[in-house]
Amino acid sequence: MENDELQKIWKSMGSEFNQKTKDELSLLLSSKVNSTIHNLLKITAISIFISIGLIVYLIITTINRPGDTLFLIDNLLLVFVTAVLLVFKFVSWYHLQTNKFNKPLNEWLKMRIDLLQKYFTGKRSNLYLVLIPVLYILLVLSIHVYFENKPFIEVIHSSESLIGLSVGVPIGLFVAFYSVRKIRKYQLKNLRFLQDLHKRINHLDES
Amino acid sequence: MNATLKEKQGMKSTKEEFLELLSNYQGILHKVCLVYFKNESDRKDNFQEIVYQLWRSFPKLQDKGSIGSWMYAVAINTSISMLRKNSRVDFRETIPEFSDQSTVFDKIVTDERLRLLLNAIHQLDEVDKSIMLLYLEEKRYEEIAKIIGLTKSNVGVRINRAKKQLQQHLKNH
Repeated sequence: MENDELQKIWKSMGSEFNQKTKDELSLLLSSKVNSTIHNLLKITAISIFISIGLIVYLIITTINRPGDTLFLIDNLLLVFVTAVLLVFKFVSWYHLQTNKFNKPLNEWLKMRIDLLQKYFTGKRSNLYLVLIPVLYILLVLSIHVYFENKPFIEVIHSSESLIGLSVGVPIGLFVAFYSVRKIRKYQLKNLRFLQDLHKRINHLDES
Repeated sequence: MNATLKEKQGMKSTKEEFLELLSNYQGILHKVCLVYFKNESDRKDNFQEIVYQLWRSFPKLQDKGSIGSWMYAVAINTSISMLRKNSRVDFRETIPEFSDQSTVFDKIVTDERLRLLLNAIHQLDEVDKSIMLLYLEEKRYEEIAKIIGLTKSNVGVRINRAKKQLQQHLKNH
């Protein structure tokens, strides 16, 4: 087979692609832009709604329980961590969305890998292992203490509470870790694919 | 005329310019989709995603003389990104080749050897797919190297290797 035979075969491709008119292309672009904005608003609205709802709940319950210092500390910690996580989530989401596709493939892959590595395998990537249990336990305690209608110190010393917490906390933590692990597994698979691709692109240069 | 009205008119002319460009060069996008996706519905999704990513990067396009390179780069990077994002694609890769022989596909691929060539291209890895597409589109090695981000000699080695694979596939069928 001649060298340019492949190019000849390729040229036999008809030109009757589903050629779109300018109006159709405009509609296609508008619907994509709208759906992207819609998704962005949905994610933003849900995150803000949950976080602000939690913060409002914590503030109200704290006001309703004056004089209980431990309860106040528990709730303040939760408010602080929730607010920090909300900001961090938006910053990381913004960076992941700002995908510069107009780069050479090799450069784009490197940028993408660096960014994903920073979030999923970087220094702070295992912070969730500490944050999830701490947040979960603080939240469960806050809710439990508030609805028991007793002082914080008294509630955590009662055997009923201890039994309830020792059963409820592991189950809740299992569900939370399972969900986070599933998401991370998908993200790490994506990262590994890009790393592998980048390696394959460059292996000729290295050898 | 106030600033908002001027901005809106500016944006409208930019969009017009973009659509004009897209309309003239859309064949590139269709070919990239054809090389990366076997399934018509995946190709449609990818086409729309590429259009969106091109629109996003259009304001940063400074060298209007290299529109083709810009389109190929965005289309290839978006397609690779979509391959991972859309898990359905992984699943459908196990379905026999071109199971959804669409009317559009049949119109484009009329030659049996072209059909075989496309099947062979689908068996290449993601990088070689894009390099071979650019080669088949008769792009110069320098241009391919620029779009993919490799050295010219690396591009040459990869093209020769992939060409042998494709030729072998065609011989065997």
